[in-house]
Amino acid sequence: MTTCKNCSFYFPVPENAGDYEAGKGDCVVEKQDAKGKYWLSKPTRTDSPSCPTFKKA
Amino acid sequence: MAMVAQSINYKGRTIDFPLENPEEMNVPDEILHENLCKPTTERTRRLKARCRWKHASAGEFIDKEVRAGIERMRLITESHKATAGKPEVIRRALGLAHLLNNCTLVLQDDELIIGYHAEDPEMFPLYPELAYMAVQDYLMTDYAPQPKDEAQEILNYWKPFSIQAKCEPYFDQADLTRMYQVSTMEGPMFASGYNSIVPPYETVLEDGLLKRIELAKEKLANAQAEMEKTPWDATKQLSWIPKIDLWKAMIIADEAVINWARRHARLAKIVAENFETNSARKEELLEISEICHRVPAEPCKGLRDAFQSKWFVFLICHALDRYASGFAQKEDELLEPYYNISVKDRSFQPMTHKDVVELVECERLKISEHGAGKSRAYREIFPGSNDLFILTVGGTKPGFVDACSDMTDAILEGARNIRTTEPSIVFRWDPVGRVKTKRLVFECVRDGLGYPSIMHNRIGVEQMKFYSQFSLNENGVTDDEAHRWANVLCMSPGVCGRRKTQKTRSEGGGAIFPAKLLEIALNNGYDWSYSGMQLGPKTGEATGFKTFDDLLEAFRKQYAYVTSLVIRAKDVMRHFECQVMQMPFVSSIDDGCMELGIDSVELSEQPNGWHNPITTVVAANSLVAIKKLIYDEKKYTMKQLLDALQANWEGHEAMRQDFLNAPKWGNDDPYADGIISKFYEEILGGELAKVTNFSGGPVLPVGQAVGLYMEVGSRTGPTPDGRFGGDAADDGGISPYFGTDKKGPTAVLKSVSKVQKNQKTNLLNQRLNVPMMRSIHGFDIWKSYMDTWESLNIAHVQFNCVSTAELKAAQKEPEKHQDLIVRVSGFSARFVDVPTYGQNTIIARNEQHFGADDYEYINAPL
Repeated sequence: MTTCKNCSFYFPVPENAGDYEAGKGDCVVEKQDAKGKYWLSKPTRTDSPSCPTFKKA
Repeated sequence: MAMVAQSINYKGRTIDFPLENPEEMNVPDEILHENLCKPTTERTRRLKARCRWKHASAGEFIDKEVRAGIERMRLITESHKATAGKPEVIRRALGLAHLLNNCTLVLQDDELIIGYHAEDPEMFPLYPELAYMAVQDYLMTDYAPQPKDEAQEILNYWKPFSIQAKCEPYFDQADLTRMYQVSTMEGPMFASGYNSIVPPYETVLEDGLLKRIELAKEKLANAQAEMEKTPWDATKQLSWIPKIDLWKAMIIADEAVINWARRHARLAKIVAENFETNSARKEELLEISEICHRVPAEPCKGLRDAFQSKWFVFLICHALDRYASGFAQKEDELLEPYYNISVKDRSFQPMTHKDVVELVECERLKISEHGAGKSRAYREIFPGSNDLFILTVGGTKPGFVDACSDMTDAILEGARNIRTTEPSIVFRWDPVGRVKTKRLVFECVRDGLGYPSIMHNRIGVEQMKFYSQFSLNENGVTDDEAHRWANVLCMSPGVCGRRKTQKTRSEGGGAIFPAKLLEIALNNGYDWSYSGMQLGPKTGEATGFKTFDDLLEAFRKQYAYVTSLVIRAKDVMRHFECQVMQMPFVSSIDDGCMELGIDSVELSEQPNGWHNPITTVVAANSLVAIKKLIYDEKKYTMKQLLDALQANWEGHEAMRQDFLNAPKWGNDDPYADGIISKFYEEILGGELAKVTNFSGGPVLPVGQAVGLYMEVGSRTGPTPDGRFGGDAADDGGISPYFGTDKKGPTAVLKSVSKVQKNQKTNLLNQRLNVPMMRSIHGFDIWKSYMDTWESLNIAHVQFNCVSTAELKAAQKEPEKHQDLIVRVSGFSARFVDVPTYGQNTIIARNEQHFGADDYEYINAPL
């Protein structure tokens, strides 16, 4: 099973961050709609099952 | 070709009115406003072109991409379930923390100020913990949160815990049903969730949240030591328990906000290093990342810090912790120290004045994209806009020293250049205010933005001091603090700063509708034209009223019943807000809450009671006509009038003309003005002043019509002023009825100035003649008018400055008039997004032309 850990959109939370937890990361994806480009960031974990936007790192 | 104002003879001379900008001669009147937008930079031009407006019209979102998100509902529900059994204030803090730690962040291209309040820039959050009716309505729309089944499950979970469910048992069914009609009074706040707040931004910008956490920790340590003192004294030491809980909650909330801001810092850095290919934008994103890491944790060091920190606090206070309308702040004074650091000293985040204007435009566009998950009723009453966003500038500092600054000017220049419907601006007009800034106010008004609306600075200062005397803890504003006020929403001044600001809407905003109240007073409290039910107490058959005073007394009883019910509903809600809707983050940034350990919903150091009689002038003109034609001249009987009204005047046109032609408000007519000023002062203001609200102070009227003048007009039957049933009511709080002010602009001022006692503020809409305003004399005439207004001690005035030709052209081809903005009431709107019914009320307003007598009265320097 692929997990977030292997995804190029997964960015681990640095250890010095206030919300640091082992295995926690940010899922950052680029979006585009008729009005423009934007990015979304959502907390995830290394062992979370991958989603349809998964892209191998 | 543009129209030019006609020449006049004035003091023996002929005065011509050539346009100030001769190039405008080639711009047809019908498209003038489409030629006025001049974004300061290419960035703000791009941002405006792609702006994700969330305007509503007739209660529906205009852009079909706009929809409710489910994320906030889901996260606060998870937390509420997981924290059962903990003290409520701690649960509120943990709920906010769970939301901020787990919510999706949004970063858009080109932005200089970042942060959003839902999981997608086209979405807005909902608040099932407030009013279940409002959320249930969303679930029946095309823009319901998805998946809808989950949203319904969440709503079902919240129903017994919601503020609405807690408040309803304290009202009998008849009162609830009457309130839900929204025809004699506004629906209760607990059924809509509609709220407003004045966040104490100053502490965040000046101290930073890390310092606020340290303060809370010190208070907590002291409280715990006090609890442990021997010998034990329960009468004193038990009182530390809720304070300990609150200080703990403040720490949880502030740490969560810091982490959330720093998540934004990480996002900006990740995008810069992994996605962005433009090197200049990369640099910007890295700077944004540094800023979001620094603020709001630390004090602001420069102007970019201040804009970003303020935006984060806005999102928490107005959208994430709970819903609150408004954008209340004294923005120029709040930002001036950072302007001085960045522009004048250039010691941190150095920039030019033009860079500041660009930041102002960026902030205006952020507000323009801010979606509010407010109820259908409130979407209906602000057509053509997102929500009520209003900031305040100008006025005076202690000692009546001019508070206008280069920051004030930047705010006005940005507003003029970018042309957005929101945020609206209030300018506090004072004789000492500098002319340079007043000229910029004029340019915004002349260009048709509908704002700044103008408030009388000294009336506002005196009101802050008046309310201070009723402070329950004898710590109302000082004389110096009284100078720092901003409008809470459209019209009511309230103090801002580090403490004593208004935190919840129970202080104000309850609307009361005199036109409908007069209608039911004429029918023994019964509403024959809309609801078909008894809407108020039985106050007697009108045919039995022997004198005009008998009628007034019946009205007074209807009005008194409604005012007490409306304000009781507000205060009952506040009672329950104190129990389950505490705001530990807001408490942490208020010096009073921090010092005393009392939650911000509960602590009220500065009373500020304001509620809204709306549709007053329809009622007032009706009273004048009745007195003249029935009681004075005895031309008609009350029975004849009631029969004509029941027939909506059909078959009674000659009689209707008599009532229509009776003296009307706004013409400096002694007969009408005598009756009407007494009506305002003794009944509307007098009865409200008898009420004591949660904060211990009296309540005063703030006539601010919002879109309710349309909504309630449509629910009000024919009235004795000659109006047909269903026609819109008057559009202000004290504005003359559409087209009935026929004696010129200064006659309006003279009438309005006769109402002075027992009033807080009343909204005065005026429509000025475009060719005069755009002429070489425009500013001088307008400034003379404003100086006269100020000397007449009138609390408020605002202007539409748009030609009928352009309004009618926009009705025909709306797609060509996207930049046409009008002033509706306490807010400006994109004209083409206002329903036709509302558009026609704008067109019907009398366009004021100045005659020689007017120029003489205002002493215009022509």
